[in-house]
Amino acid sequence: MFGQYTSTFRYESGDFLVEAERIDGLLTYRRKCEGRAFERILAVSEAARVTVNPVEPVNLPKDITDLLQIEFTPIVLEPGAAQTVYLKFPVEIGVFLASEKGIDILDIFGAGAQKYTLYGPPAGGAIARWCRSGVYPRVPPVERFREGVMELSILNTSSEWAHVSCAVFNGVDMKIFYNDDIAAATATMKIINPTIAETGFIDIPLVPGMTRSVELYRARKIRVISRGYLMEWGLS
Amino acid sequence: MIFSLTATLGTSIGIGTITVGDILWFAGIIVVGVIIAKVVALNVRRALTERLPKSERELLAKVVYYIIILWAIAVALPYLNFDLSGLLVAGGIVGLVIGFASQSVVSNLVSGLFLMFERPIKIGDNINVADITGSVEDIKVLSTIVKTYDGIYTRIPNEKVFTSNITNYVNNAARRFEYKIRIRYRDDADEAIRLAKEVIAAHPLALKNPAPMIYVDSLGDNGINLIARIWAPARNWWEVRTVLLWKIVKRLEENGIIVPYPQRTLWLADAERTPGSDAGAGKVEE
Repeated sequence: MFGQYTSTFRYESGDFLVEAERIDGLLTYRRKCEGRAFERILAVSEAARVTVNPVEPVNLPKDITDLLQIEFTPIVLEPGAAQTVYLKFPVEIGVFLASEKGIDILDIFGAGAQKYTLYGPPAGGAIARWCRSGVYPRVPPVERFREGVMELSILNTSSEWAHVSCAVFNGVDMKIFYNDDIAAATATMKIINPTIAETGFIDIPLVPGMTRSVELYRARKIRVISRGYLMEWGLS
Repeated sequence: MIFSLTATLGTSIGIGTITVGDILWFAGIIVVGVIIAKVVALNVRRALTERLPKSERELLAKVVYYIIILWAIAVALPYLNFDLSGLLVAGGIVGLVIGFASQSVVSNLVSGLFLMFERPIKIGDNINVADITGSVEDIKVLSTIVKTYDGIYTRIPNEKVFTSNITNYVNNAARRFEYKIRIRYRDDADEAIRLAKEVIAAHPLALKNPAPMIYVDSLGDNGINLIARIWAPARNWWEVRTVLLWKIVKRLEENGIIVPYPQRTLWLADAERTPGSDAGAGKVEE
């Protein structure tokens, strides 16, 4: 399903149906996912392309936050320790229309339940998309269109022991790559003290040869300076 | 012929005792005034870029600009032998009249400026101020525009906004709401709590953390009263609140837990006691 299409295409598997077909001369995009359907007639030039790829998982069911919080089995790090682990994150699939005149978002969908949480207190905290993941020492097997893999490098720069059981990321910074097997992102977490950490993404593929996803903020023409996210409301 | 600057500046231009030097002083002060006015107005625009809409920013910048220009003219006019004292007397009286007339305008203006800097409310916020509840459409220099939830345009003078208690429902990221759910005495309250928690957990916008809380609140006349407290994003809480209650009730009923009607058992002095029934479809209080 992930890739770029210049004319009609069709992908169907399990709960997913994504297609663009000509009906009475009109190019029609259709999507079905877990009983939810979406359809649009596309008035585009011959040169227009449809791109389907994983996008930052902070859009469903509503675009109310840019933050993604992943909760996982607690990890204890000694002062100065570094550890790389693999987590799973929910995949949302973006469908983009691209032509010489620019790029636009056509559809965003995803399988599975979504959940939001509050990171921090009600008065100063922030709403974040929430998901739970196991902690894996190597790239875990995933359901390709439901879960992605995040390589998380944690570095405890403080002089105290750190207990970490969640990581909060700014989804706008997320660089997602994909290949025929997985969608993946590479992230870092720098622990400044036992309650504060800085998270961010690295713009490199997890596996050589992966294709970089078109990001939503690019399609939305939002200027973004990659700044990471400062977790100031605790690490668990 | 030797050019004398002093003599030239002292040359009369033929209107009263005004000299070339006076004209130059006048022009110089006006030019400096215009430059100062432009610089200050530019900085006012920059400083208020994110605080005020463009129309009001421009208005304020223009007011500042012309005040400085007027000040420059007032300073420069004496060089043209223009006596301002007469104007001051007339201006004083006019100023007094205008001052009284514009008292509320100035009060609203100052309140508006304080509101813009303190920022207790922002455009798009859901608020309650002066017994008016709605979303903020615009914050102007003199007034705040609120659209009530039934779509009514309401203009509130800024002085009233500033001096009233302001409740901003969306200032915090999340807010809590509450349901009261009544079940029969014969029903299992633990099971009802478990089922309600399942329904809440399945809703994406019912926040994972702070976790929802459901507990037996009281033993009422007509049944066991449960309280469910749920946190939701402050900007989306209403849509969560409007759908969750009925989902909870339906799930309880699917599992044989019925919300009872208010009821009363009457015992007649001579009547034989008959077992009462507390079953019935019911009522939910909130």
